[in-house]
Amino acid sequence: MQPEFTEVQRFLLDCPPFDELTGEQRQWVAQNIDAAYVNEHNVDALFKQHSPALYIVRSGGFDLLAPDGHLIERLESHDLFGFPSLLSGRPVVNKLKVIEDGIIYIISAAMFDKLRQNVRAFEQYFIRAHGQRLLSEVARRSLREVGPGRGEATVNADRRETSHTNVETGSITTSESRPAVTEKSPGYDTLELSIAEVINREPVTVSSTASIREAAELMRDEKVSSVMVTGAAGAVQGLTPKEGADLGLHPTSASKLFGILTDRDLRNRVIAQGLSYDIQVNAVMTQAPATVYGRQTLMDALTLMTQHNIHHLPVLDDDDQPIGMITNTDLMRQQRSEPVMLISAINKADTRELLVAEAQHIPAYMQTFAARVHDTTMVGRLLASLTDSMTRKLISLYEQDHGVAPSTYCWIAFGSQGREDQVLSSDQDNGLLLGNGLNEQQREWFKGLGEYVCNGLNECGIPLCPGDIMASNPDCRRTLDGWLDRFQTWTESPTPKALMYCQIFFDSRMVHGNKRLYQRYRDDVAKLGKNEFFLGNLARLQVSVQVPLGLFNRFRGTESGKDSDLINIKRYGIALINDIVRIYSLQAGLTVPQTLMRLEQLRGSNLLNRKDNQSLGEAWQFLTQLRLQHQLDIWGTDKSKNALDPDELSTLTRRQLKTAFRIIKDCQQGVGLKFGRIG
Amino acid sequence: MWDLVKRWWRTHQARKKAWTEHRYIALDIETSGLDPATDQILAIAWVEVAPPVIHYTTGRYYLIDHDETDLKQSPIIHGLVKKDFIETSQLCDVMAQLSEQLNNKILICHHTQLDWRFINQAAKRCDIQLSPLALFDTLAFEATRLKRQQHHIQRGSLTLAACRSRYGLPDYDAHHAFSDAVGCAELMLAQGYKYVGSSKSSII
Repeated sequence: MQPEFTEVQRFLLDCPPFDELTGEQRQWVAQNIDAAYVNEHNVDALFKQHSPALYIVRSGGFDLLAPDGHLIERLESHDLFGFPSLLSGRPVVNKLKVIEDGIIYIISAAMFDKLRQNVRAFEQYFIRAHGQRLLSEVARRSLREVGPGRGEATVNADRRETSHTNVETGSITTSESRPAVTEKSPGYDTLELSIAEVINREPVTVSSTASIREAAELMRDEKVSSVMVTGAAGAVQGLTPKEGADLGLHPTSASKLFGILTDRDLRNRVIAQGLSYDIQVNAVMTQAPATVYGRQTLMDALTLMTQHNIHHLPVLDDDDQPIGMITNTDLMRQQRSEPVMLISAINKADTRELLVAEAQHIPAYMQTFAARVHDTTMVGRLLASLTDSMTRKLISLYEQDHGVAPSTYCWIAFGSQGREDQVLSSDQDNGLLLGNGLNEQQREWFKGLGEYVCNGLNECGIPLCPGDIMASNPDCRRTLDGWLDRFQTWTESPTPKALMYCQIFFDSRMVHGNKRLYQRYRDDVAKLGKNEFFLGNLARLQVSVQVPLGLFNRFRGTESGKDSDLINIKRYGIALINDIVRIYSLQAGLTVPQTLMRLEQLRGSNLLNRKDNQSLGEAWQFLTQLRLQHQLDIWGTDKSKNALDPDELSTLTRRQLKTAFRIIKDCQQGVGLKFGRIG
Repeated sequence: MWDLVKRWWRTHQARKKAWTEHRYIALDIETSGLDPATDQILAIAWVEVAPPVIHYTTGRYYLIDHDETDLKQSPIIHGLVKKDFIETSQLCDVMAQLSEQLNNKILICHHTQLDWRFINQAAKRCDIQLSPLALFDTLAFEATRLKRQQHHIQRGSLTLAACRSRYGLPDYDAHHAFSDAVGCAELMLAQGYKYVGSSKSSII
């Protein structure tokens, strides 16, 4: 009888994608492989005789060389090679050089084909690896082990396939294939549900030419607090130039959303103003309201509501047809969504003490939330939403005590809050944009505001900024011209310090204040950011930071002292991607701060090709995910929040981390070539 | 007489072949004690080697059926307990298979003396002739090599695991007959390629 080959099986279990096989399949592999002792004398003959095949390094060290002799990768235990020829059918061209003798397992082409025909996950792994898309392969195992009481979570049972691979041709569709971290599992948070899944009634709509009374009657009969105002294609043409233009863009629309009318509008804009109930709805409705698409998530709805401080969002389908309304009560009704409750509690806090008390719950909430969600970007977005809400609450508390603002202004979030990739330990980065011509007393009001809000946020658990990038610092309270002067100094004489500031200040988002003022500011800043001389300097600075891959693509520690083996994935990973994406965004004049959104808007850019765009997004998500995982693991210890030990990672995660760093390195070179020569 | 001549001729021819052109059987056994006369083979495992490749398809592992399986040697050492002896094989059937396998091949063991005496004894009882081309002892090879380099041989430095680690071969869970057979095969390849060097040399 054949033995069970326990030793080989155990090895394969730690060697993705063989961990995707069933025990029986793994045993079949173990019973049929060949193991070769490879040294410099036999290596050439061996591979001539056994290729194409899939090779797995069991021990020893080997350099994979391109035909021109340059090193592609140093291979060590658990590394796989040879599959590109198996997948493409092209002859093997790369050479193997023996650094240290060792054992290599050989999986014949016939075995490989049988496995990929029978195990989809196995095939997909190689197709992705072949297309250097390994990051969309996911460390699901490590994810599922997060947090207390999750040990029993089904580790393998609920895998679903998310990406779409054309098996016949073996080609990869470049359509959206987000890392499988976003897959839903029994433990996901309801905020990950799509909006369409939640809205449970037909849209209640009223024609824009209906009377206010008719609209109110409809709202009463339907028991709703808001209605969507629509118009048939021809009915309102020419009503206003803007709507006419909109209609022109959607000639096929049967009915188009023009606005929204709420209980509050009826109270504030009709009754309180003493208007006649017979005038048309379009005179009092909110025009061109913020909307969401049914395919977006509840998190998207929550973010939008928090940012605009609104409670009703019309939901559209992909053809821009209204399909329903989602309200903040709908969100709160979702069970297990403490974040919504928390935001609502923050909004309801009447005193600073109550607010601070509510904020004490945030870390614990974030812990369970982070352990539950699969789309890690939601964690940063939620933290940003919470910080936004606290900021707005503090501003309104200050206004209660000190009267309303003496001029228009904007409270701006910079850095991670601006980008919405905050973590629990992120400190404050904010500033004030003020109107022109303020007198001393008025300036005092804003000084007080800055100090009150920054100290308040600190009490709420958002630490003060050690670099003093805060509205409490007079240097961060400027008029439009004041800010533009500052940006101009940075872009025209880019000292290292100035460039460092730029990496914070160019990522901004308005939290509260006058939208028009902010938009002007942002547009002017964007113009300054296009300066080629400045971009050239920024590029050279970025390229000078090296990813933690040393010789032969081995990990290189980034820290000093006793942590010298650790790798800081924030500074040498996430931040580098933010930097790369920022420089392309500056060049393109984009004003959105979020890295993923910037990438989305950069699609179709001539400078950043589609593949790099996608790779950067995947690498960013992977690293964010890994950092979150790490922070959950070390929570409550004094270990570094952003530095981790590569030796403690699983084989798959190590391979992915290397892939991510290689993507960054390649894209850095691209930045150097495209921008670095200018200026 | 004719058999002897045939055998001499075969060996004579074999000596002219390079070591890499031979076929090998790496074997390991687990026994109830150290004396072939009184103790029994409990398990036997082997795998075929065609340098530099070990063919796992040829891997075999048999638990031997004994009327009264005698586990007087600590069962912990070999990780074998009574319940493992459910799917067992008859010793003589296994010896017949082994005999066929060994034809024209070289037998490799770590400490050949012991294993060879056990399986020879067992084969004789079944009236089966085991006639490998030659025997190769990875332990003896290592001992000679170390002595020639004037190393003082320390206790424990000649175990399979210790020898393997000197060649940078991976750690295996020791004391499963099949792991040891594979481990022994890898060690022999490492010794062959490192010290016999060119494939032209002969090791028998």
